[in-house]
This record gives sequence, structure tokens and C-alpha cells, in this order.
Amino acid sequence: MTRTLALGTTMLVALSTLSAAVAADLGAANEPIRLAMLEWSGAQISSQLAGKVLEKAGYKVEYVTAGNYPHFTGLADGDISASVEVWLNNVGEVFPKVLAEGKIEDIGTLGLTTNEGWIYPKFMEDLCPALPSWEALKDPACVGLLATPDTLPNGRFLDYPADWGSRAATIIADNSLPLTAVPSGSEGAMIAELRAAASAKTPLVMMFWAPHFILAEVDVGWIAMPPCTEDTNEHCIKAPDVDKVVWSGFAEKWPAAYEILKAFRVTTEDQQKMMLALDNQSGTLESVTDAWVAENEAIWKPWIDAGVN
Amino acid sequence: MTNDRRNPTSADRLWLGLLVLSVMLTIAGRWFPWLSGFPTGWTLPVSQWANAAFLPIFEFARPFGRSTTPVIEAVLGAIRAGLVWIPWPAAVLAICLVALRACGWRVMVLAALSLLAVVGIGYWAQAMNTLALVLVSVPTSVVLGFGVGALAHRLPRLRPLIEALLDVMQTYPAFAYLIPLLLLFGFGPAAGLLASVVFAVPPMVRNTIVGLGAVPAEIIESAAMAGARPGQLFWQARVPVALPQLLIGLNQTTMAALSMVIIVAIIGGFDDIGWEILSAMRKAEMGRSLASGLVIVLLAVLLDRMTSGIARQSRLRRAPPIAGRNLVIGLLLAALLATGLKLAGWTLLPGDGARSLFRHLDLWLLDFVAWSAPAFALLRNAITYGLMLPMRLGFSGSASPMVWGLTLTPAVTAGYVAVALGLVVLAARRSPRAAVATGFAALLFWSGLPGFPWTATLAIVGAAAWRSGGPWLLGLAASGLLIAGVSGLWVPMMQSIYLCAVAVVICFALGGALGIAAAQSDRLSAVLRPINDALQTMPQFVFLIPALMLFKVGEFTALIAIVLYAIVPPIRYVEHGLRTVRPDVVEASRQMGATPWQMLWQVKLPLASDAVRLALNQTVMAAVSMLVIAALVGTRELGQEVYVALSKADAGRGLVAGWIIACIALVADRVLRRRRAPPSHATLPEKT
Repeated sequence: MTRTLALGTTMLVALSTLSAAVAADLGAANEPIRLAMLEWSGAQISSQLAGKVLEKAGYKVEYVTAGNYPHFTGLADGDISASVEVWLNNVGEVFPKVLAEGKIEDIGTLGLTTNEGWIYPKFMEDLCPALPSWEALKDPACVGLLATPDTLPNGRFLDYPADWGSRAATIIADNSLPLTAVPSGSEGAMIAELRAAASAKTPLVMMFWAPHFILAEVDVGWIAMPPCTEDTNEHCIKAPDVDKVVWSGFAEKWPAAYEILKAFRVTTEDQQKMMLALDNQSGTLESVTDAWVAENEAIWKPWIDAGVN
Repeated sequence: MTNDRRNPTSADRLWLGLLVLSVMLTIAGRWFPWLSGFPTGWTLPVSQWANAAFLPIFEFARPFGRSTTPVIEAVLGAIRAGLVWIPWPAAVLAICLVALRACGWRVMVLAALSLLAVVGIGYWAQAMNTLALVLVSVPTSVVLGFGVGALAHRLPRLRPLIEALLDVMQTYPAFAYLIPLLLLFGFGPAAGLLASVVFAVPPMVRNTIVGLGAVPAEIIESAAMAGARPGQLFWQARVPVALPQLLIGLNQTTMAALSMVIIVAIIGGFDDIGWEILSAMRKAEMGRSLASGLVIVLLAVLLDRMTSGIARQSRLRRAPPIAGRNLVIGLLLAALLATGLKLAGWTLLPGDGARSLFRHLDLWLLDFVAWSAPAFALLRNAITYGLMLPMRLGFSGSASPMVWGLTLTPAVTAGYVAVALGLVVLAARRSPRAAVATGFAALLFWSGLPGFPWTATLAIVGAAAWRSGGPWLLGLAASGLLIAGVSGLWVPMMQSIYLCAVAVVICFALGGALGIAAAQSDRLSAVLRPINDALQTMPQFVFLIPALMLFKVGEFTALIAIVLYAIVPPIRYVEHGLRTVRPDVVEASRQMGATPWQMLWQVKLPLASDAVRLALNQTVMAAVSMLVIAALVGTRELGQEVYVALSKADAGRGLVAGWIIACIALVADRVLRRRRAPPSHATLPEKT
């Protein structure tokens, strides 16, 4: 009886010292970590996964719905603690500024395999047999299909929204293609048009990126791009980097969480699977991310172990 | 009458002079390009100056702003937590009881039905979050608005200044002042909330000024004779008498706040309906955006009927249909219900069933797009070639074998001039005014609106502004135009004007015809009314997706979206104007043997000209307010400039583009309402 009691006491003491040690590493575990929930489904999935892993480590997590451009201001002020899916090809002008001022910290890649380039709905290969080569866009017959009253006699090229910058226009000029880049205004506009084009079989060539949920829905081809005239961001499209970014005070306030987020990765395959489930409504954001956490303990457990110890 | 029309007035002479000047400038522009396009060398770093001027102010006010943010967010958080905590059956019961007490049975039934619909659609929690925003924004706006209105009432000398400020607040695009608000109040719902307050305060101020000013002098005198002190005089005599007008202000402020809370979602930080709409827009899901837009419409209609019902009750001083004691008992029951449901752990919320139903809309839309693509392509090409290209590039710019089947040879130019002159001479036989108008139309059709010489634009706008508003309006117009010129935004500004102009032409042709038809037929009128309500309260983003799918990214889709929003005023005001024409005049002309056609064009429409002018004014204002939203479908005008500034967090750039848009709206408003002041700005007309 005394022995068991003594054993119990030692265990309790051991446990409490252990948890005390962990608590020190966790930092301000009772103050919620505020993760950005950006507009697109990929980022929402990544942020939910990160949040759930952090909760497993013993943190409180709050999700803050936020717009991509304004949210960098929130990160710089600490109103948002971390944002786990930042596409470095589309960060506006606040991001570089606050990064240089040291108000935010880039903690490395999220691990997505990305792609960016010019796409077309697959049926166009019947109309322009030279596709996917970019040479197809020099063929007058193919360009004629793309022409609209606004762009005559050139073909119409659907570019990124004006506020994302227009690299496509530069590349069109570099290769003197008979195309006119038309800014699309918003991501929704690009998706709507891609859907409509695939559905009504109207020809379309546009700038786009992957992974994106619409690519699971619409069959597209990627144009094999002409060689770059200059090896700069303006003249050359390369797969963009996607990084995790935290507020500058993050590491000090939540040391273990900082390590966990640094190790945190999402694969393109996993994200695409979840995006598809969301898109065809076979799951909610909660349920698909819960399922991932339940199935992949082997992946996230080491992040927590490495972070906490 | 005919004599009057044939003799040129001084206005006709002025416009004739301007026409001659414009023709001369257009011709001279061929040799002196600086006369026609705004000289590219004349640029000044206006947006940098704006930053240099304002950023230190923001920086100075930042600590103050930052310290109020937690207060606002704490209040917001508490209200939100309360609203989300209450189980919906209890909330619906309580709101229905309040509706019954304040407005009667009909509004109660409306409240029950619309709230149940919100529950059914599956957006109860988001709707409560939006309601929390409104519940913070409206009282703030009402208190501020009442204070400023009372101040303007006490100090009439301040009134012109305050009214000018209100005009700017109502026409300045909110997106343009989001960056300054973000700088001041930090990231979060507080900044968006304050944006909605800026927009919602003006109607309260205006109604307060009207209400306090309309208190009969006898009442004040008798109160003063009864020995009331100034404070008592104000609170116990003036305010109670002005109360009905103040409550109309409450109604309009509520509607304005609700229409603006969507802006909160641009910044984020709040899981509200606006966020749903924005996410749906981003993923181009029409069903979801329509469903969430519908929730806003239901909330808007409900809040409108409840607040206007309260205003009416206070005017009529009717006994409420439910006694105070029964109301208290009912509310206690609701509280009991809430506790019971909480203890039992039942939320009773339906699943996502309805939402997946709305998703089917997307599939139908896709099928419809596939099926109707050729027809809509035809419509798009017809309007593009027939109206948009001529207005944008003009005949001179679009004369190519591909568009008109001819090139611009001297012979073609001569032919154009001959036809134009012929038309002007023909019109001159009707009236000098028609001749001048035809001349301007021919010139515009030649150069296109953006290609119209800037010098001539300056002269015309200046003359119109001077005639309707004197020196200060001239100053405003000149400031807008010249700032646009020197900041390199002349062409985007003319693009904005051109887009609005085309939209107004279409709205007036279509909406005017619908209004005329609705004035003849009660049935059509009853069908149009809820459609109008929905079009005007539906968040503007919702129109974009179907328009995009049918018409592709570009100006044309922007045009369709603008038309959908701005078509409501002509329908409403034309119908209202025709229906309120004095019946004795109509009867008299009927007895004189007027045909229905003559009756419409020669009797009713001229008599309703005030309403028609007001319709024009409101259409222009609605079209301008839609510019920034329409930029989301890819335009190259000022609205796009506001977005670019927002993404670069360049406060100065956004403020400059916003100022030009506000100038366009203000000058157009003043020039178009010269004859009679419109009634105060209302989102929904009052129903009986």
C-alpha cells in the first residue's frame, strides 16, 4: 500500500516535472496562436492542418479569415501569428517591405510542388493541333479562334488580375506573338471563364498556376513555353515558391510551435485530394483535415517530438 | 410654346459655342497632339504628395486608433458571442415578438419567414455574425450622425461645410479609404466596421437636420413660455417632435450599414456572410454566392421593414398590437426556450442540404452557358460593335476593314462630315437645342469618349459645373479633371466615364421602358417590386459570376454588372413619376382626344420630368458606385486603379483615384439635379 502510494507520488512528481519542462518549451500555450485563413481552398486546408498539428502539441489555435494582401499588415503587427501558405509570386508590396524591416519572418518552404504557366482547355488540341507547343500561338488559324472584338486582329490572352502584375504581356512581346493580354480582374473571374470555356467549348488561353482545385474539375493542357529571353522573373515563368511566414515575435512567444511550423509540410498530392473532396462536397474542411490528421500520425508526430524536446 | 423652342436661349448659345470650340479642338488636335490627348509630360507625383501629406497624420493618430480597436473589438466580440450562443428557435421567437410589438402582424410574419429561410439555407451563424457587425455599426453611426446633425442645426453657418463632407463620404469608394483605416486601426474587423460607419453616418445627419429644422415654431415658443431651459427645450420639445424623421434616418442608416458590411470581408477577420460571398466569388460558385446574397437580402428587407415600421408607428401613435406585459412574458418564454435547448444540447440547425441544392445551380448555369453561348456571343458582339467600340474608339479609331468594312480615306471622312452636317441641319429645323445635341453626338461618335480632346472636355465640364453650382462646383470639377490629368489617369478616368455613360444609356432605355410598362400594369409592377428590392440589396459581387460566364472577362461583363445594379432607379422613379401625374390633367387630355401614345409622350412624361431627372441622377450615382466592384471582372479604369492601390497598400494612390471617382459622382449629381433636390438617399422606397 505504502509502496504503491510512494510509486504513485514519484510518478506524479515525475509527470509534473515533465509537463513543466514541456510547458516551458511551449511558451505562452494558453494564449491562442492566430493562423491566417486565406481565401483559396488550398491555403485553408494548409492552415487547418497546421492548426490541428499545433493543437495536438497542446496549443490553442484561432483561425482568422483574412484577405491575401491585407493580411501581411496583420502579420507584421502580430494581429495574425502565422500564415502557412504564402505564394511568393503574389505577395503585393507590403510583404517585401515588412520582411526587410524584420517584422515578419520567412520560415521556409511548405513543400508544395507548384507550377505556373499558360494553360488551355484540353479540347483546343483538336482545333490547334500544334498544341501544347507555344508555336501553335503563332498560327493565324489558331489565333483567329481566340480573337474577340476587343483584341482584333490579335488573339485574346487572359492574364492575371492587373494588381498581380502582368508578366504574360512581357513574354508575349518577347516572342512577338499575335496576342493581346487582357487583365482578368480577380481569381473568380479566371475560374468562371475557364469553366465556361470548357463547357461551351469556346477557345481560351490563360495564365494559371497549380495546385488549384479547378484543375481537378476542368481538363487542361500546359503550353510548352518558348525559351526565356532573360532569366528574370519578368521574362521567365518558373514554378513559384510557397513558404510559411510568421510574425517576428512568434519564436519567442511560442518556441515549440515555431519549431513545429518550421518542420510542417504539405504535399501537393494530399492537398489536391482534399481540395477535390471539398469541391465535390464529399467532405467539409473540418472533416477532410481531421481525416488527414487521424491517418498521418507517422508524419506529424515527429514534428511535434522534434519541436517539443 | 413652339416659338420658345425655336428661338435660341442663352444656354443654347453657350452650348453652340462649346460645340464649335470642340470641333475646332478636334481638328487642331491632328496637328497639335497636346490639344487632344493630355500631354504625357505634364505629370506630377500627386499620389506621393498625398502620401507625404497624409501618412504623417495617420502615423500621429495611430496610437489613438490602435487604443480604440480593442474596445470596438471587445464590444463586437461580446455581441457576436451572445448572438451565436442563443439557439435559433429562441432568437426567432424573440425577434418576431419585437417585430409584432413595433410593427404589427404583417412584419412579424415576414420576420418569421425570412429568419426561417436563413436557417434553412444554412447560414444562421454567419448571419448572426453579420448582424453583430450591423448592431455595432448602426448605433455608432446613429449617435455620431445625430450629434453632427444637431451641431449643424445649432450652427447653420457650418451647414454647407458639413453637407459637402457628407456628399464626399457617400460617394468616395470605400475601397479607397480601407488602406488608411488599416493603417490607423490595424488588421481586423474594426477597420472594416469603421468603413461602414463612414458610409452610414450621412443619412442620419441629413435626417437630423431636416427633422430638427421642421419643428414648428409654436411648439418651441410654448415650451419656452412654460419655462423650459435650453437643454429641456432641445430634449423634451425638439427631439420628440422630430422623432419620426429621426427614425427614418435610423432606417436609412441601417440599410447603408448593411450594404457596406460586406467590405469587412475584404480585410477579413470575421466569419460573416460577406466572407462567404467573397469566397464564393473567388471560386466562381454562383449557387453559393446567390445563397449568401439571398441571406443579405432577407436581412435587409427585414431590417428595413422593422425600422420603417417603427418610424411609422411613432408617426401614427397607434396602440401596439401586443401589450407590454405579454411581450415581456413572450421574451421570458424565449429565454426559457434558449436555456432548455442549451441544456438539452440541441442546435436544431439543418445540415448542408440546402447549400448543396444551391450548388446544383452551378451545374445548370454551366449547361445554360453551353447551350446559349452562340446567342450571348451574338448579343455581346452586337453591343460591342454597335455601342461600345464607337463610344470608346470612335468612328475614326474603329474604322478598319474588320469592324466597319472600310478604311479611313479622305473620301470616307468627307462623307462622315457631310452626313453629320445633314443631320444637324435636319435637327435644327426642330429646335436649336436638338441641333447642338446632334452635333455633339456626331463629334463624340467620331472621336470616341476617351479620344475626345481633353481641352474640350475641360471646357464643357467646366461650363456645365459653373452653370449648375457656381464657382465651388467648377473648382471641384477642375480639381478632379486636372488631378486625373497630372497623375496620368486621364485615360482611365475617361474609360470610367465612358463605361458609366454606356451603362446609363442602356439602363435608361431598358429601365425606362420597364417603368412605363409597370405604370400601366399593376401586375407587372407587383412582379418588378421584389426583383428591384433584390437587385438593390443583393451584394454587388453576386452579379459578377453569371455575367462572367456568359460574357467573358472584360469591359462588356463589367457593363452588364453595372447595368444590373443601376437599372433599378429608372424603373422605380419613372413608374412613380407616371403614376403620380395629376389625374385631372390626364382626364382633360383624354377628352381632347389624345391617343395613348400621345398621352404618354406629350402629357405624362413631360409632367413627370422631375421624376425622370431624378431617375437619371440616381442611375448615374448607382453606376459610378459600381465601378470599383466591376473592376473585379477586368476593366482598365479608375476602379482597377483603386484595387491596384489596395494590393500595394499605397494609401496615396488609392485616395487619388478615389477622389477622382468621387468628383465624377459629385459633379454629375449636381449638374443633373439642378432643378430640384432629390429626397434623401434611400436604399428601399417606403412601402405601404
